[in-house]
Amino acid sequence: MRAVVKDGVGIFYPQGFLDGNSSASLLSIEDIESTTKLNADMILVSLKKVIFFNRNGLDTFIKLFQKVRSANHIVVGFCDYDTKKYHTIMKFYKDELMFSLFKTQEIASLFASNFNNQNKSVLLYSEDKSQRAAMAIELHDNGHNPIVAQTKEEFDEKSKNKNAYDCIIDDTFLGQMGQKVATRVTGNAIIYTLSSFLDAEIGNTFNIAYHNNSLNVGFRLFIFDAYKVVSMNVHALNFFSKLASSAAEYNATICFVGMTFEKTPLSFKETLEDSGIMFFEQMDDILGDKELLKELGASSAAAIKNKRALNKEIVTEIPNFIDATVATIEMMTNSKAVKEAVKIDQIEIGPKENKIASSIGFYGDIDGMVILVFPEGIAKKACELLIGESTDDKELILDTLAELVNIVGGKVKTLLSDQKINVDITLPRTYSEIDDLLEIAHDKKGVQVNLNFNNDNFLFFLTR
Amino acid sequence: MITQEKIDTFIEKIPPSPKVLRETLMALNAGELPKAARAAKEDKALSNYLKHLVNRPLYGFREEVSDVSQIFGILGVAKSQQALYNYMLTLLSPEKWQLFKLNNNSFADLQAELSVGWQKILKHLQIDDKEIESAVSLLPASIIVAEALFCEKLDDVKLLRSVNEIDLNTILKRLCDMDLFDIAEKIAQKWDMDERIAQIVQASSGIKPSENETIEKLGKWMHMLLFFTLSKAEFIDAGLNDFIDFQIEYVADIYDEFAQVMEIA
Repeated sequence: MRAVVKDGVGIFYPQGFLDGNSSASLLSIEDIESTTKLNADMILVSLKKVIFFNRNGLDTFIKLFQKVRSANHIVVGFCDYDTKKYHTIMKFYKDELMFSLFKTQEIASLFASNFNNQNKSVLLYSEDKSQRAAMAIELHDNGHNPIVAQTKEEFDEKSKNKNAYDCIIDDTFLGQMGQKVATRVTGNAIIYTLSSFLDAEIGNTFNIAYHNNSLNVGFRLFIFDAYKVVSMNVHALNFFSKLASSAAEYNATICFVGMTFEKTPLSFKETLEDSGIMFFEQMDDILGDKELLKELGASSAAAIKNKRALNKEIVTEIPNFIDATVATIEMMTNSKAVKEAVKIDQIEIGPKENKIASSIGFYGDIDGMVILVFPEGIAKKACELLIGESTDDKELILDTLAELVNIVGGKVKTLLSDQKINVDITLPRTYSEIDDLLEIAHDKKGVQVNLNFNNDNFLFFLTR
Repeated sequence: MITQEKIDTFIEKIPPSPKVLRETLMALNAGELPKAARAAKEDKALSNYLKHLVNRPLYGFREEVSDVSQIFGILGVAKSQQALYNYMLTLLSPEKWQLFKLNNNSFADLQAELSVGWQKILKHLQIDDKEIESAVSLLPASIIVAEALFCEKLDDVKLLRSVNEIDLNTILKRLCDMDLFDIAEKIAQKWDMDERIAQIVQASSGIKPSENETIEKLGKWMHMLLFFTLSKAEFIDAGLNDFIDFQIEYVADIYDEFAQVMEIA
């Protein structure tokens, strides 16, 4: 099958019914390779003329996508589908969605770097906050003006006025976002989801490196959503007890929500409570109680066990970290950054008023943490693009800032992976008060870069 | 441009010229199965074809069926008639296919898949009409004619395809001012089929809607069946999947029902 290439987007048009057998006959790796040679930086399969597909049918394409993506670093995915097809694909792939989904070709072309028709006014909405942010960044990067609807209601309302926008985006997913290890919620809590039977296997399935790095970054509240847990055995009990002990060293709190003990000995609950784990019946008991959330999720002055020095590998990569950060903030604030000072020492923030901060950890071939300290003005300006309008709601600014830092982390990850350094990133942690940040970072040594954005000082700090 | 005369020459080749076939068809048209079987037995090739046809796994018989009377008895008048049309087509199908990657076997598979699918659909729609049952034979017949026409201009066709991802039906239209469904209509006329049959096949193009509700409905089902069949790996590899343009909006309203009839998971 041959693709139609336009504006750097190569699109294949299969038609009819797609299953494991037919898909393999429709598209081959040679077809895709000959398309990439035509300067396509996005390869998509249109589902416009596909009336039926099953998981096997799509899997065949996805295997090809994976090969092409790892070889050419181009965007791959599907386009031209309706809401029903979109939900079916999301259901098929859930958290393993590594490819992109564009509702229409027009939407896809907005994200293509070759697309010249810029400066489009674009209304966008996704249920997933990270997706909203990522799309807004990419669109802005490509010279468009994204307007982000924060809720479905807002989207429905705004999209009624079709003439106000050049393009309206929904049912779209950017696949190059990082893995979905956990869900972050307001209040700096990390929620892990557990299900079915908890046994020795939890030691393999739980991403302990991610968890430890989240602790290192400053997260202090970890909630296990255990509504779907049927039972727990003694191996899982030991695992969680140990997890609670290690969390205690950071003054972190671990909670279980929705866990029933119908098929699990009640004595297990007592053992877990003894090791410091708290139990709640409903998620709202924690998330709905702002005071409790603040108390449990607050940073603490707990001494972190392993103080580690920066090593040569990290220092070598510092330009990558700074480039990713500067590029993102410059783009978000539409201003130019001037590097003012670089030093290797403990973090030095200066006046703490009107500043907010965020940190994000990375781990893998190298590990460490990036801390960004924003004057509120820059933070607000940077977040304006993601929110779609200016706001003084500090909670919303902090949430949006977290998304922005997540994007910086994603860019760092991509830059490093180009040099064959594989890292994963934690979720970003935000700090509304600089003192909270200093509690975890004041005695860490690292590289500090002071940057100036339109006479506002912005601080970048890389540590371990 | 391929002239009208040239097209007519190809279609001329289609009529059931052998005497045995004519007699068998006439007996079937009159509903006289034993008489049809007696006539068919005269033609060894036909008997052999029928035997191979009904013993395909698609028909699902446990024991081998080899007697022509038995075969006609099992198939009934309408299906026997259709089998005969299919046989006539195999006589006309090229020794060596050049544009479509087909052979005698895969072409027979195509005929069988379409026939069995169409029967399921008509049963579901509770339509018991011999002529309508035979309508589906026109599509493979048109593919044979199209192959022959394309072979006349094979280099031009290949050149056109290399420049642009243009569907073969459009090329066919440009080459001879007739598309696959127009050819099917011509064949229907040649076979003295009921006028409705040509209308159903034209409606099944998905771009020539009929004002007659029943014909429009059957056209939709045939369009869907065509794409269901042409989405099988064997026919995609043969180059038939992108022969015509699938009109998804045309058939969207019958998809759920179709999936049920065809037992699509």
